[in-house]
Amino acid sequence: MQYHTYWKVWKTIATNALQETFINRGSNILFLISKSIRLLFMLLFLWILRSTVKTIGDYTSDQMVVFFLVYQFVDTFAQILYRGVYLFSHLVRTGDFDSMLIKPISPLFRALTGKPDINDAVFLIPSTALSIWILTQLSLTITLQSSLLFLVLLSNSLLLATALHILVLVVGILTTEVDGVIWLYRDLSRMAQFPVSVYIQPLRSILYFVVPVGIMMTIPAETLLGVSSPAVIMFSCLFGIVFFLGSLKLWHWSLKKYQSASS
Amino acid sequence: MLNLIKYVVLLKMCWQDGLVYRMSVFMWRVRRFLAALMSLTIWVTIYQSSSSGAAHFGYAQADMISYIFLISILQNLVMATAIQGLAQDVYTGAISNQLLKPISLTAYLAMQELADKLKNISAMVFEFIALFLLFKPELLVPSSSTLVIFVLWALGAVILNFCISLLFGSLGFWSPETWGPRFLFYTLMQFAAGQLFPLDVLPQLFQKVMYATPLPYLSFVQTQLFLEKLSPDEVVRHSYTLLFWIGILGLAARTIWKKGLRDYDAAGR
Repeated sequence: MQYHTYWKVWKTIATNALQETFINRGSNILFLISKSIRLLFMLLFLWILRSTVKTIGDYTSDQMVVFFLVYQFVDTFAQILYRGVYLFSHLVRTGDFDSMLIKPISPLFRALTGKPDINDAVFLIPSTALSIWILTQLSLTITLQSSLLFLVLLSNSLLLATALHILVLVVGILTTEVDGVIWLYRDLSRMAQFPVSVYIQPLRSILYFVVPVGIMMTIPAETLLGVSSPAVIMFSCLFGIVFFLGSLKLWHWSLKKYQSASS
Repeated sequence: MLNLIKYVVLLKMCWQDGLVYRMSVFMWRVRRFLAALMSLTIWVTIYQSSSSGAAHFGYAQADMISYIFLISILQNLVMATAIQGLAQDVYTGAISNQLLKPISLTAYLAMQELADKLKNISAMVFEFIALFLLFKPELLVPSSSTLVIFVLWALGAVILNFCISLLFGSLGFWSPETWGPRFLFYTLMQFAAGQLFPLDVLPQLFQKVMYATPLPYLSFVQTQLFLEKLSPDEVVRHSYTLLFWIGILGLAARTIWKKGLRDYDAAGR
């Protein structure tokens, strides 16, 4: 792997995205305001809930806040890296994807990271700082061991997020349409604002094993809270690796099905 | 009579047009279903977790479940709109085709909206049967007079949202950057309309700020009416306020569109 080349390409793409953000300053400022309002309203609701209800399902209301904060972080981080996926159907339909295929760089890398989301990158800094401050205010027992395991599972979440975005690209190649699938994924991941275990079956299993937002968000939060067993943590990591490898295999398979019909 | 036939044909065309990408329609419906399912699950869990089914935030469990059902119906009926890309159509000049036809552009957009609402309602019936069977809720049904006012207020909300959509669409006459204000508006609307939780759960200050805007009239006040949480005086006051917002925003949309069309140079065509 030519890591240096890939870093250089990503840096150029990110710089272009940054310049674009500066051109559309007004809209981007409104976007940041909207994101902040959404986060604050949700936190306000959880805060009100916390003062009214002691437990929700098997969790305390303080623990519910942690699930939301982990969702917030993982979701924003994935958006920063993989916003390019939202534009992929356009590349397939117009035939612009062909030019990615003939370049000496992985087309998967270009399709995934084609447009880093600068707005979300800017938003991630204050929202993470706020999240850490909130965590210090809650009645929780977080140990060094659970924090370290949480970081391991966060990396696993990123791996799963990558795999899910690759699967969206696969759908894009096969059907030239990704909008519906990517927004469905966003809505399913939004369900992980709350612990996935509160949902009824078979939805719960779907959220754990089909679109594994439960493993991406619920299990890391549970690990941070010290309520996950070592077996669950091991299984999650193994699942993440297998899911990622499976998505890569599907990507290579889908490339063989690509018809380049538009060019 | 001829005019009426023209619009019926237009409605049929918009209906067919809306069903061209069936997978997208299906995905959209799945997303709406999931949103309702999430809210219902969370609230059922909250109530089941508390002792003896106590009321929270002034809502007993049956009230809250009825509220979530109602708000989901209103979201499908009122907030879902087919003309969210109007500003882009204006900016790219795509509306030129419509302007050249012997049909009013507003009527064309209204038919597009109507077809979209009919499509949503058709799918919604099956989704709500599924939700009903899953949660078996004890739904509250108001008196017939309240039901009549509720239907009128819901229609008022549809018109109000149409006016707001026209206003956002008119931004396209002067700027390509329209998604920022729209995103801000929809974020506020999401909370003011109360998809996940009712507006009156929030502190008084937030409620007062929200009531100074048309946002609660897009679905929240309708739910309060249905749940019979409003006094007769409040019903009258909210009826006048809803009419006021429709009048003001309708007039603003009309004036701005007239001005926009005078400035319109069909750029991109």
